[in-house]
Amino acid sequence: MTTDARAGDAAEPLDARAERPARLARCLERARGGDIGALETVVRELNPLLWQVARAQGLAASDAADVVQTTWLELMKRLQEIRSPQALTAWLISTTKRGAWRANERTRRAGVGSGVPEEMPDPAPAADEGLIAGERHRALWRHFQQLSRRCRELLRIVAMVDRPDYAMVSDALEMPRGSIGPTRGRCLEKLREMLLADPAWSGR
Amino acid sequence: MTETSGIWPDETDETILAQLREVHEVLDAPPADLTDRVLFTIAVAGLDAEIARMQDEQMVGSGARGTERTRTISFDADSLTIMITATDMPDGRVRIDGWLAPAGPWHVELRVRGERADARESPAVTADDAGRFVFPAVRHGLAQFVVRRPGGAGPESIVVTPAVTL
Repeated sequence: MTTDARAGDAAEPLDARAERPARLARCLERARGGDIGALETVVRELNPLLWQVARAQGLAASDAADVVQTTWLELMKRLQEIRSPQALTAWLISTTKRGAWRANERTRRAGVGSGVPEEMPDPAPAADEGLIAGERHRALWRHFQQLSRRCRELLRIVAMVDRPDYAMVSDALEMPRGSIGPTRGRCLEKLREMLLADPAWSGR
Repeated sequence: MTETSGIWPDETDETILAQLREVHEVLDAPPADLTDRVLFTIAVAGLDAEIARMQDEQMVGSGARGTERTRTISFDADSLTIMITATDMPDGRVRIDGWLAPAGPWHVELRVRGERADARESPAVTADDAGRFVFPAVRHGLAQFVVRRPGGAGPESIVVTPAVTL
């Protein structure tokens, strides 16, 4: 797997990533046993995922931070019911998404004149291609922007979870089964076709 | 492009998803202190704490250059609403005026993050019968409200808010 972007520098080594489900399972077990300190690893590992879930719903950064915090507070009450890292990830995703809906609803009701449009723009700034190092990553970003809003939301989340978790993402996001998960799904299929057809990405 | 489409996920899928993750980590990374905020917030929460969600936050008054700045924030739990007004004071501290509804003489703790994680710097007051409480001078920084009510015969009930930056 190539990581030719500067973005790759910040990423964990691949083996650390591959071991993450087992690491999370151990920490979850310890936390359920009363070792609340073990949650620090879980928070550290999964916060970036929850952030993307909240932001994919169109929340401003400060609202997203509040929603993510509240999700973890709620988890403290549910800890004994959650048995596996998959169940944990699914629960965190759906709770964060519901929290984000509520926050959006509140903003709408308040009728804030802050110019929140009906159709929220993708919070990831579209003009930021220049921040992305690496031609393949830039090509990927360009094609990703062509996808529907729903596909972007979905893939953005799938990209943050571990492979054993793929199957439950569409359920956790309350999206139709065909979206992704048990199968590659239409969204990733489409992006994949565009990328493979683009020499800037596929090198063909 | 269907030569490998039967296998999911294959190496191409994994590459695409890894690159998507890397791009989002660059373009929309979580705030650097988000994990610290979460760890601070959940340190107090137990299985039985009720959560008061942030409902509303508004700037009031002039707000000029951070002096005399006043904000109101409300938090809603099923059994309790907490509303606070935070006013920046000339001495660099923050005055908190709060109300509990329904009103009652309950114990209100303001957890603030100390210089050291284990430092006890969290003032506590008891609300009056009208549900009013005041913290006249607290430091700027991360803070979380914890309200405790005696449960009569049962255990006390605890309501916690997410942490806000005062």
